[in-house]
Amino acid sequence: MIRLAGALLILLAGTMIGYLQAARFAARPRQIRQLIHALQRLETEIQYGQTPLPEALSRLAGVVPEPVAGLFSRAAGQLDRRDGPSVREAWDQALAGGWSRTAMKAAEREALARLGASLGGSGRDDQLKHVRLAMLQLQAEEAAAREEQQRYEKMSRSLGVLGAALVVVVLL
Amino acid sequence: MAPMIPELFAQPLRGVLERLPEHAAMTIEEIRVRENRPLEIGYAGRHAFVRPDGSLTADVRAAYVPGREECRALLEKLTRHSLYAVEEELRRGYITVEGGHRVGLAGRAVLERGAVARLKDISGFNVRIARAHGGCAAAVLPGLLDFRERTIRHTLIVSPPQQGKTTLLRDLVRCISAGEWSHAAAAGWGGRKVGVVDERSEIGACEAGVPTFDLGPRTDILDACPKAEGIMMMIRSMSPEVIAVDEIGRQEDADALAEALHAGVRVLATAHAADLEDVFSRPVLSGMAERGMFGAYVLLSRTGGQVEHRVIASEQAAREFKSRPKPAIRSPDGFAPERPVP
Repeated sequence: MIRLAGALLILLAGTMIGYLQAARFAARPRQIRQLIHALQRLETEIQYGQTPLPEALSRLAGVVPEPVAGLFSRAAGQLDRRDGPSVREAWDQALAGGWSRTAMKAAEREALARLGASLGGSGRDDQLKHVRLAMLQLQAEEAAAREEQQRYEKMSRSLGVLGAALVVVVLL
Repeated sequence: MAPMIPELFAQPLRGVLERLPEHAAMTIEEIRVRENRPLEIGYAGRHAFVRPDGSLTADVRAAYVPGREECRALLEKLTRHSLYAVEEELRRGYITVEGGHRVGLAGRAVLERGAVARLKDISGFNVRIARAHGGCAAAVLPGLLDFRERTIRHTLIVSPPQQGKTTLLRDLVRCISAGEWSHAAAAGWGGRKVGVVDERSEIGACEAGVPTFDLGPRTDILDACPKAEGIMMMIRSMSPEVIAVDEIGRQEDADALAEALHAGVRVLATAHAADLEDVFSRPVLSGMAERGMFGAYVLLSRTGGQVEHRVIASEQAAREFKSRPKPAIRSPDGFAPERPVP
């Protein structure tokens, strides 16, 4: 009886792990897409609104869902502080603080960090170039992420169940 | 901390400024920050360098020297981390920040098709502290009244930089708008509708369109709008009785003001000029003055910390100026005057 309950628990846990892993594979392209949307909005804010960066970033936080929004609102909050840090520091802090809550990987982070290093520091045309460059990089990552999703999403789900079943069989 | 130091400066520069002696902090007019050069302040009509402990000195070598990092932080703060949003300001060479303080900038000019497109490598800052001097208009306003029309005469406020033109203009706007005429005969007139075209955002120091200085209850303000265009917009849309503008000098400003005059709107303007003679010899101003566009001039001059003013009616001004023999060469360096004397 106890054996049966243990086997059930192992199966349950394995399935859970598989599903969580699959969810991460599905979330990554979705979040990259949201990030691209946010950068498009930033482009508009820079080009037409000429909105100061703290305000622009908090608006971006309003147009995308969490956890991506958290990155922007965190950076905006840092910039609005009275003796606030530079844009680069604020951006890096925001990435360091909020990145682990997203499903995105190092390549996307790299692209964003590079954008943060130049944000606010030059004229409009130059800023737009930087934002577009970041968007291009993110689009490439998005395509890769979708491919990964197709390949691994189902697999990790079944792997979870099958792995758990294997453990159960071995232990029984 | 002295209430007058704007919160623009990053440590350690901020710490130095916070330790300024009381009398200097209360009367501070300018803070001049130059990268890797001594920190200087202007207060009560005087200038002094600042030691690292905040005390004042005339000795350049003892002064605190702000570094590159502090200047970069100051620029970021000034532009709210967004150089792209202040391109127009960088082209004109100054930024107006929260509280109406104007910060003049010096750096390397970037040219596009022969005109200054913007500044880069900005390394010199002149933070000019704006403050509202309630009551400075009370002494001037009675001299500007037009009793027949129950309003003010067309007025030009004339002074060299840094003598309080904008401060006076701001207070005049407030008084006219509120109906504080400071004259017994005008007690029942009530306020007038005033339209302010605030190209440099200095008169009202608007935050999101709402002035942070008290400009009176009947004042409309067009923030950051070019004067010539703004004057026309005001006349067309806001039906002002008085229009106030800062620092006129270009031909299109003069044309727009003439338009306002013909529309029956009273004009209150300021201009950079040393004295009346200067007004009558500057290309655009002289044209306006000779046509008798202004009904009164206010001359500001300053001795020590005190601002003195003189109100001159236009007839008197024309007489005073015409009676004086004109010098063949006006500038001390021997250059010919800007406009040949007729």
